[in-house]
Amino acid sequence: MNHMRIAVIGAGGIAQRNAIEAVKSGAATVTGVFDVNLQAARDLAAKVQAKTYASFEEAIANSDVDAVMLSTPHHLHRPQTLAAAAAGKHVLVEKPIANTLDDANAMIDACEHAGVAMAVNYSFRYLPKIQKARELVQAGALGDITGIQVIQHQFKDLGYWMGARSTSPDDWRSSREKSGGGFLIMSVCHNVDYLYFITGLKGTRVYSEYATLGSPGNVEDIISVTSRWGDKAVGTISASSILRGADAAEERIWGTKGTLLINDKGLSLYSTRPIDGKKPGRVHHYAKFEESSWTADWIRAFVEAVRLGKRPEVSAQEGWENLAFIESAYRSMEVGAPISVPTYVR
Amino acid sequence: MPDWLVKILGTVYTRMPAGLRPFAKRVFVQGLLRLQALTSRRSLCKGMRIEFIDFEIADLEPFEFLGPRPVDVRVDAQFSTISPGTERAVLCGMPGARRPFPYTPGYSTAGVVTEAGAKSGFAIGDRVAGRMSHSSSGLLTPASMFRVPDGVDMLEASYIELGIICLQGIRKSGIRPGERVAVMGQGLIGQMATRLARLAGADPLIAVASSRRRASSAVGPGRADEFVSLADDPGALARIEADVVIEAVGSSLAIAQATTAARRGGRVILLGSSRDLGRNLDWHNIVQERDITLIGAHIGALPTYDASPGRWTYAQEGRLFLAQLASGLVHVADMTSWKAAPADCNRVYEVVAEGGREHVGIVFDWTR
Repeated sequence: MNHMRIAVIGAGGIAQRNAIEAVKSGAATVTGVFDVNLQAARDLAAKVQAKTYASFEEAIANSDVDAVMLSTPHHLHRPQTLAAAAAGKHVLVEKPIANTLDDANAMIDACEHAGVAMAVNYSFRYLPKIQKARELVQAGALGDITGIQVIQHQFKDLGYWMGARSTSPDDWRSSREKSGGGFLIMSVCHNVDYLYFITGLKGTRVYSEYATLGSPGNVEDIISVTSRWGDKAVGTISASSILRGADAAEERIWGTKGTLLINDKGLSLYSTRPIDGKKPGRVHHYAKFEESSWTADWIRAFVEAVRLGKRPEVSAQEGWENLAFIESAYRSMEVGAPISVPTYVR
Repeated sequence: MPDWLVKILGTVYTRMPAGLRPFAKRVFVQGLLRLQALTSRRSLCKGMRIEFIDFEIADLEPFEFLGPRPVDVRVDAQFSTISPGTERAVLCGMPGARRPFPYTPGYSTAGVVTEAGAKSGFAIGDRVAGRMSHSSSGLLTPASMFRVPDGVDMLEASYIELGIICLQGIRKSGIRPGERVAVMGQGLIGQMATRLARLAGADPLIAVASSRRRASSAVGPGRADEFVSLADDPGALARIEADVVIEAVGSSLAIAQATTAARRGGRVILLGSSRDLGRNLDWHNIVQERDITLIGAHIGALPTYDASPGRWTYAQEGRLFLAQLASGLVHVADMTSWKAAPADCNRVYEVVAEGGREHVGIVFDWTR
């Protein structure tokens, strides 16, 4: 398959971006759009020169659809994936893969049984600075990784939780039943994904404390996670969506031979080794990167994987492993003890 | 300003270093205002006004504005009343109320004319009320300006827009003498609607709220006969059986509760501006099955001309409200639970963002 025909499900802000990037990728076309808000679906369909579907069922019943792109609330990922797989459609699902590992297992089983591919939209890993960070780590710039720190703080206004920012308003984000959780599963899951990607390590044990201190609903808006990565490195995540006036977004990875800092300015590398043509023992900044379209890259990679019959780059397994970290973090506070992160076994 | 110019300016602005943008914007706005003053031969006036500078942050800021056209008046404010539902919705970025910041809140002010346009029909010193933001000084235009009758307290006159909102709702409710009326929500709009429903002949009159925190101001002479706290008695709704229920909360839950409180065949007046989403309401069972009539009563639907018995114009409702204050039929001053200095606006809006706590009417006193 050189060209994938995609039905876009959901027409909110993220869906709009995904649909436009799908067209830009050159590897896919959008056949149609479905959203519970028909006007939002019509508006997006006009932008990508596609039709609208009256229902999700109509979208997946179409023989001219190869795949669905699910940019819908988390709790819909499972039923929509199961239905799409049963209809023989490949699945591009927005992150997180699902709300629970049980849901994720059912989705993976359904796709395997139907012989269709699934990928999860952790496309930030296609950002040039993330790709560069991985390249530096793989080149040995940091030696053996010993520490990982994530700082992610911002302010999400009341309207965010009430659905005011979306073209298809819904307050699902403030419901744990529908969203699976708060700031960790909604936003910080990206950081977890690309740190897995950069370091090649995975969380093995976690303990968290979290609370809902300034937002409506029953999902956390502040969380602190202490974790073990692989069998050596120690990690911390400090994140909240209630911090006013001093937004912070930074990851720091360090090892026996150096340190890598990732933030909105780019990358900063200190290494005791001469890596990437840089002198050792100094801090080097990587501020300029090529303009890129990371979502389009993700879609291109998915189409190529399907064509070659390979596992997609951001595979269902990686989505599952990401969720395993998140679910374990949530559960650790509930049981008041560190939790071992389950490993993916099929 | 032509679209092409807006586009060019937008491009320049977005390409400017972020740190320079506020300064550049200020220079541009001030320059534009001076150019407008020169070309239109209007004076340039200064004042202080309350601005929402970001989500849940209010501050008192200096501002400039053009002097009055021949039909306008310039007014020095004495009191401005907070419209709690609308202003909280914008301050917190609720659905249907997303506005860019900085945002200038307020639309219910009373003050004294300090400069009168030649064709305004007003003179310096006249007492007026109308749609003006929370500011020390500003313009009132003919479409949203009322002369305050002698004897009416200026603080009460500053409730003008809230009065119009409630009066048009009461009018659309068609309350007849002796009808059993319930008012859902006992914030400022709810309590004003309760008093106006009494005037329209509601009897008995039941005030319904989520808790008892505003019970003391809701019940008493000329007000509600009974207070129902849903926190104390969640099952009370179904026993209310009102002919008319006025929903003055502004939420989908309150609309559903209002229909529950209505008798079969009753009327539910939607006075609150709903700021949330209610997808999973069973409209068949809560409205159709019980033959409930839902009546939308938002001030935005008021006609400017061509009044009818059920729909008076904005101007008619405004004059009536002030006349009722003048005759003593309606009192609102006692609902003012917080008369705040404008300099305290930051603290005031912290409370508003939280839902107002126990407060009912919050008024800025610009004479302080």
